[in-house]
Amino acid sequence: MPILRYIGRRVLFVIPQLFGIILVSFFLVKLIPGDPAVMMLGPTASTQSIAELRDKLGLSKPLITQFGRYLHDVARGDLGTSWQTTRPVTEDLFQRFPATLELITLGLLVALAIGFPLGVAAARRRRGPIRKFADYYGLLAGALPDFWLALVLIYVFYTALGWIPAPLGRIDMAVVPPPTVTGSLVIDSLIAGNLAALASSLGHLLLPVLTLGLINAGPILKMTQSTVERTLSSDFIRYAEMCGLPRRVVLRQAVRAALPSVLTIVSVLYGFLIGGAVLVEIVFSWGGAGQYAVQGVLNADVNPVLGFVVFSAVLSLVIYLVVDLLYFALDPRMRG
Amino acid sequence: MSTAVASRGPAGVGAADPAGSRWLRRLRFFAAVLRQRPTFAIGYAIVAVVIVTALLAPWIVPYGPMVADPTVYLLPPGRGHLLGTDGTGMDILSRVLYAPRVDLAIAGIGTLVSASIGSCIGAIVGYYEGQRSWRRAVSASVMRSADVLQAFPVFVFAIALVAVFGQSVRSIVVAIAFVNAPIYLRLMRTQVLSIRRLRYVEAAYVAGASDLSILARHVIPNAMAPVLAQLSVNIGWAVLLTAGLSFVGAGVVAPTPEWGSMIAMGFQNVVTGQWWPSVFPGIALGVTVFGFALVGASVEVLADPVRRRILSGSLG
Amino acid sequence: MSGEDLILDVADLWVAFPSYRAAPVHALKGVDLQIAPGAMIGLVGESGSGKTTLARAIMGLVPPPGVVERGRVLFAGKDLRRMDAEARRHLLGREIAMVIPNPRAELNPVIPVGRQIANVVFHHLGVSRKEATGVALDMLRAVRIPDPERRLNAYPHELSGGMAQRVVIAIALACSPKLVISDDATSGLDVTVQAQVLDLLRSMVQEKGAATLFITRDVAITAHFCTRIAVIYAGQLVEMADTRAFFARPAHPYSIMLLAAFSHNPALRARWTRAAGEIADAAGEGCAFAQRCVRRQPRCLTDIPTLRAIAPGHLARCHYPVEERQ
Repeated sequence: MPILRYIGRRVLFVIPQLFGIILVSFFLVKLIPGDPAVMMLGPTASTQSIAELRDKLGLSKPLITQFGRYLHDVARGDLGTSWQTTRPVTEDLFQRFPATLELITLGLLVALAIGFPLGVAAARRRRGPIRKFADYYGLLAGALPDFWLALVLIYVFYTALGWIPAPLGRIDMAVVPPPTVTGSLVIDSLIAGNLAALASSLGHLLLPVLTLGLINAGPILKMTQSTVERTLSSDFIRYAEMCGLPRRVVLRQAVRAALPSVLTIVSVLYGFLIGGAVLVEIVFSWGGAGQYAVQGVLNADVNPVLGFVVFSAVLSLVIYLVVDLLYFALDPRMRG
Repeated sequence: MSTAVASRGPAGVGAADPAGSRWLRRLRFFAAVLRQRPTFAIGYAIVAVVIVTALLAPWIVPYGPMVADPTVYLLPPGRGHLLGTDGTGMDILSRVLYAPRVDLAIAGIGTLVSASIGSCIGAIVGYYEGQRSWRRAVSASVMRSADVLQAFPVFVFAIALVAVFGQSVRSIVVAIAFVNAPIYLRLMRTQVLSIRRLRYVEAAYVAGASDLSILARHVIPNAMAPVLAQLSVNIGWAVLLTAGLSFVGAGVVAPTPEWGSMIAMGFQNVVTGQWWPSVFPGIALGVTVFGFALVGASVEVLADPVRRRILSGSLG
Repeated sequence: MSGEDLILDVADLWVAFPSYRAAPVHALKGVDLQIAPGAMIGLVGESGSGKTTLARAIMGLVPPPGVVERGRVLFAGKDLRRMDAEARRHLLGREIAMVIPNPRAELNPVIPVGRQIANVVFHHLGVSRKEATGVALDMLRAVRIPDPERRLNAYPHELSGGMAQRVVIAIALACSPKLVISDDATSGLDVTVQAQVLDLLRSMVQEKGAATLFITRDVAITAHFCTRIAVIYAGQLVEMADTRAFFARPAHPYSIMLLAAFSHNPALRARWTRAAGEIADAAGEGCAFAQRCVRRQPRCLTDIPTLRAIAPGHLARCHYPVEERQ
């Protein structure tokens, strides 16, 4: 099976990359000024108790030894403990990543729903209002800060119109959340059959998802437009026209040929948003993974930051693997 | 860049012209392009206005940008305070006009640093790639390092860099330079890889020119166009990144007028209905980035010989 | 012959491509061409002479920014230029079929070839998907592709150039068209494969009784293939004659130059080809070929020649047509 060989090579290639990422982030994070031992014990702690804690945490050993030990732990799935939450980082991340993933998955679906059809429509005509709108939309979506758009949406839909619940967290305080199965509140509510939780979580998702969707529709739109435009003037589409195939069939073939590029941009955005959605997470007090990492950086809490980086790298790997599988499905030339 | 564009221009024109009229002709062409594509003109106008505002801010602002007057906090836009005041009683208009001094300086310097470092490394890597020597190994390892850097979550990486170097303007510049450099590295490498195989580069090599002089005289000038286009777009991104860093509290420190931190300061007010402290700086930020993106798009068109020809043709 | 009887009647067809800063470039300058049902017309010319543009203009698919400026294209008596795009589309692929030069790039890379044949049948003949697939299988058999059941599900990149060309012929003839336009169809193939594919195309076309416009750069191919030959130069037909008459007594110096280029007689080649250095740059007012013509007279640079009969059924656009046998 060529596909298995391909995936195998891909995974092998990622291992040194993962190592490089851990290496760089480990030393980078270690460079952040601030002594975790001091932060954990507070400013009033005695020098002796600080030294004891440093020994216990392994902080007094040389950096390279610390790195070796960290690698050893990571290989066993232990990402250390966060001194802020005093919980194992792995547990924290397993709790927070689903929140982020639920948010950005839905956000990208909305972005696709806006950007893809608009891109196809704009590619069909070189002039006209749709094309103009698409051009400006692409530029504008790339120019607006997402955290600002989130605030504007909050003002309009919460403060002024009052259509949505208070933009705090993923679910109303008063609603009992469903038992955790997948970590996605929407899916878990459906599993539990808890309609109140479902409604509340959907209500809380609405604005952040809309924010991410509106902003990220820009690159999807541009990519779709330029690729469909290129395929529409390609040899095989011209031949399809010469064969007198109906316009919609020709267009469908052109769109079909553009799918791999759209897939690529979506996967790139997905990888970016794992950490890049943090500003939107902060605005909505989402409690996602990005927010967790930023808190870690700002408080010299090393393990959450490293854990986040490792987690998102592995996640990107999974995404790229899925994308590769889809490429295989989309393009017979890759199966050869 | 000017030499590259001239040498790619229509044959026969330009060579005999005196330099003065050549510039005049170029200027006239540029003006004609702006008339033809008014959107580009908007972009240049925005960028010009933002830069002029940044330069003249001390003389045109009605209030001190960091002077808080607690008696007039959260005034809605109106007489006296055209864009209202924020939660501490500072005039929003003055702060919005002052902000590009910080934002543009950080973004501009950060982008320039990343572009010069990134494209120099990219040019060298591209030039030596595929040659049979130790340089090839170096090129390959540089590319793999760039892979690693780009695999990082950009925003978390930038925050970490700021945390490492301490919260200061200089750190933000370093962070911007660091996260953007791989983009230029890749861009320049791809360009150089294709230019390296062109006849005139091979001719220079056969004529015995040194690697350095071939790079400096023949390769880099002809590879600059996409870098320039990217530069303008990237300044816009850098403004966004600066604002984002300030928004989470890892960027410019609060009372300094900066769009991102102003949006952050107004955050709580928006929920309670006072939208103006956050909305106006956001609009200024968005318009600025939009302007730089348009300028980048125009550079892309103007620097591409084929598209420029089409444009000059349609100008008749 | 009246217009009703002709399968294709092109009259005074002009196609222009707008040019930057300058007057538009005319790819076709008043082309007249008639094709009777079942006839095989060879259209010969060098690259850039307007052959492909003519094929595209007939189908109404001149690539933008080109435009058909004026002229008439009658297909079986119907004016293709006045027809709306949708009606014309119904003719393309069903009654006017195209055989293209570079099938591995022009067949859709992500659709199995069997489905590409079936698609055309399905959309034009109003049969069911299943019947269309049946037709596709029959067509693959007819173009003598080995193991057709398996090839039905093959993708274009899995076929050899000759095989892909057969698929294109299958697509072209699947709906039994009245006119087949073959544009440089074999130029990308090895010489041995070329001959096979040409023979196949000829037998298929004859079997279906379709008329053929056979566009090529290779004048030698037309000798075996066509009943009548037209030579195009710089967007104008410069000579048209029945195959036998054309090869016996080519009248236009350009035709002779083309024929000489394929001959094994270097003296003949040298006699009819002007050395590159002698060719002047600017085209004057007169005959478009004058600058390259070895028989140029002063009049050729001032007067534009018309396409006129020099013998029954033999037209040439030359003030001084060649009369002696070559």
